[in-house]
Amino acid sequence: MPRFTGLLLAAAIAAAASTSLSAQWPLHPKPGVPKGPDGKVNLTAPTPRTSDGKPDLSGIWMRTTRAEQPGTAPAGQPPLATMGNIGAGLKEGPPYLPWAAELVKKRAGGLDNPDGLCLPQGPGQFHNDPQPSEIIQLPHKTLIVHESNYMMRTIHTDGRRLPKPGEPQPYWHGYSVGRWEGDVLVVETNNFRGVQGGQAGDGWLDSRGSPYTDALQMTERFRRANFGNLHVDVTINDPKAYARPFTVRMEKVVVADGSELIEFICHENQMFLKMTGRQ
Amino acid sequence: MRMKAVVVVVGFALLVAGRSVVAHHAFSAEFDADKPVKLSGTVTKLEWTNPHAWIYVDVKDPSGKIANWGFELASPNGLMRLGWTRFSLRPGDEVTIEGTRAKNGSNNANAQVVMYTKTGQRLFAGSSQQGQ
Repeated sequence: MPRFTGLLLAAAIAAAASTSLSAQWPLHPKPGVPKGPDGKVNLTAPTPRTSDGKPDLSGIWMRTTRAEQPGTAPAGQPPLATMGNIGAGLKEGPPYLPWAAELVKKRAGGLDNPDGLCLPQGPGQFHNDPQPSEIIQLPHKTLIVHESNYMMRTIHTDGRRLPKPGEPQPYWHGYSVGRWEGDVLVVETNNFRGVQGGQAGDGWLDSRGSPYTDALQMTERFRRANFGNLHVDVTINDPKAYARPFTVRMEKVVVADGSELIEFICHENQMFLKMTGRQ
Repeated sequence: MRMKAVVVVVGFALLVAGRSVVAHHAFSAEFDADKPVKLSGTVTKLEWTNPHAWIYVDVKDPSGKIANWGFELASPNGLMRLGWTRFSLRPGDEVTIEGTRAKNGSNNANAQVVMYTKTGQRLFAGSSQQGQ
């Protein structure tokens, strides 16, 4: 499927007509944003750091506009995922077990896509949604607020360990703990609801419906390569649904013009349900 | 705050970039890509709501009978980033909309191009029929 490109391009062109944007919420640029001689944000400036020397991932992030054909990832880096297909960059696609491949076929058409139902998105969706996310890095936890469906994830970085699978109540976003390995924040998550959650909308990794189960252990490696670019390498390890673990990349670009997240209360006017005969 | 330069600029940008703003649900579950529509009429309402904004338009058929049509747009947050506001269209505006009709046969469609009927200036070319 074609990747989203319109928003950034249009926003860039619209920004040129900035006097006409007065109706939007006012911009509040943060101090310390590195600028080049042309006055534009210098995306390749050094990675900002917190007072303890760790990379500071805080900021508003928009998914990349870069696209990649399957099997063409640059050497040494995982293939790029898309919102529609977490395995889009994999030459053979995701290594589905037979039942998982069958379920993806049944999910074609997207009637039960949790995103379309205003329910929380799966990892391949929230990392690649065309709406931005904000990372708020605090001393003992990191929060990720996704504009889409107004979702929030909590990543505990206070040294606690992952709970045993099945012990806490499974969450849509699972239970996440993070630790630093050098300049990489490694986040591990388990206790997802998965397809056993009972709702048709449970357990969608991406918008084609690649499933995950309650056995999913997801590892995300967040690396802020420089001021403007964040790479998140996501490993899906779910032996109930996939023949082997696989790793894909999500790329994000900082939003540093001083704009902020916009409220998105999904259920204001859910015409989708009416028009598909379910309400 | 009706027609402004930004609207034309944004329309151009979307024309260049193809029809894509913010997808929320599966387009194919709701709309039939094989049923294109192009209708002209008078705006009766702009619903500035999530997960999608909607424009309602009174459309007169050749016999003079009027039917009210609904056209789905992108979500307000996506539209705002393109310079739209909830006042970009007002009741009484004459518009022509190209889009794709609802699968259920109702007078609803997904808007892909919205233009002022008199001038042909495009306001918008975004829809939920976009790649994810």
